Amino acid sequence: MSYWYKPERLMRLPQFDYHAPGNLVDALNWLRDNEHLNVRILAGGTDLLVDIRGKAIPDGHRPRCQEHRSGAWHARSSPPAEIDYMLALSHIPELRTISHDGNRLLIGSMTTIAELEDSADIRTKLSALSDGAAQLGSPLVRNRGTFGGNLCNARPAADTAIPTLALSGKLVLVSAHGERTVEHDDFVIGPGESVIKPDEILKEVIFDLPDNPSASAYIKLANRKALEISVVGAAASLTFERNDSSPGSTEIAGFGKVINARIALGAVAPKPLLIPDAGKALIGGELTDETILESARIASEKARPITDHRGSAEYRRMMVEVLVKRALTKCRERMLKQPVAEVQS
Amino acid sequence: MKKIVTLNVNGLDYETALEPRRTLAEALRYDLGLTGTKIGCKIGDCGACTVLIDGVPSSSCLVLAIEAEGHEIMTIEGVADGNKLHPLQEAFVEVGAIQCGFCTPGMVLTALALLKDNSDPTDAQIRRALSGNLCRCTGYQKIVEAVREAAKRMLRTC
Repeated sequence: MSYWYKPERLMRLPQFDYHAPGNLVDALNWLRDNEHLNVRILAGGTDLLVDIRGKAIPDGHRPRCQEHRSGAWHARSSPPAEIDYMLALSHIPELRTISHDGNRLLIGSMTTIAELEDSADIRTKLSALSDGAAQLGSPLVRNRGTFGGNLCNARPAADTAIPTLALSGKLVLVSAHGERTVEHDDFVIGPGESVIKPDEILKEVIFDLPDNPSASAYIKLANRKALEISVVGAAASLTFERNDSSPGSTEIAGFGKVINARIALGAVAPKPLLIPDAGKALIGGELTDETILESARIASEKARPITDHRGSAEYRRMMVEVLVKRALTKCRERMLKQPVAEVQS
Repeated sequence: MKKIVTLNVNGLDYETALEPRRTLAEALRYDLGLTGTKIGCKIGDCGACTVLIDGVPSSSCLVLAIEAEGHEIMTIEGVADGNKLHPLQEAFVEVGAIQCGFCTPGMVLTALALLKDNSDPTDAQIRRALSGNLCRCTGYQKIVEAVREAAKRMLRTC
């Protein structure tokens, strides 16, 4: 048994010092000047303060009883994190804003999940993100947890990351040396890993709002309605041709062909997964039962799920098809502003 | 290194020296002696440590005490008016929504925040609001009934 495995060491958080700058420039300069230190950036803390605590019981993908029986029980537990400084962003009001800039919606990284959920702008213009925010964790987590924190954790099932990927959110990373913009697809590189550098802070996420009619939706499959990590998540974002007279349009009155479609999946790959082919299957045609089924089938083929205690790979693959179908049906519902029957295959 | 932190809890300012790693739940219980706030899982799963920070229900085990400085914190000790229970607390007692009592402070505070926003919630809204607070005794039915009953009484009194 390694020396850290003592109850009193697991009772409290590990030691660290705390710094809370009042604006972004100070925070970035502080990060630049303290490169040699082991710094963690504290946003909402709902994941970070859990992760840095040492774990007596492992939180891997195998059930606890198996760990114990195989004798690997201690090997998979983790010591408390070693941290010199906690850099808190809670005192930087400029990071906690939702604003319009022409045709773009800018969401600050310290915006809480509850604020995303409650924002009327996000509900109408970025519906999928609103769906994701409303289903993340529990109300208590949503009240403290932040959008930026959820993205930077880079978990493959993150409930705001899948919609962000589908809605082509661009992440603005700033450091004392400058600013860069990264597509969400390039941001996450693996479970818990992203391209963000130690001296960078996620400032905001930019969403381009299309002029044309558009709709998006996110559907999460989980065993419970709260405090759950999804078995599979699917987000769809569609933009349509404007067609006000709509004489030929049979499916959606007032809206023509699909001109842009993005389908993103959660919990079926080491990172949030964009399925370009599933989107391509929809582009150029009207949104019909047939195209929805075809797109869902492609998404299910391209998913790369694994088997773990939340579900088997086979089950996940089948559910991808159902969830993509439901997400697209929901988009159609939102365009028509009325319920539609689920497509039957 | 400890820092001097002033926490505003239930309308009173408490000045105390804390390590930055002290969570708000630990500070409330061990430094301020307000043991009404319970610590269950320490990882934000159970909701037993719920307090209101500026009126918003939050898991105090996932908030550093130092981060709560400058905010108004309300714990279960601040709900009753002296010896007179809040109508919500009365309803919890009368309906039988309390068994072992460990989740109750969190349940009451979360419900209080709900009733402040929505004076006449539906059962679905109550269940959704309380979905982050776990109870292993009651099966939740009595808790939902208590909140509904409290909403009725509070509407009548004002």
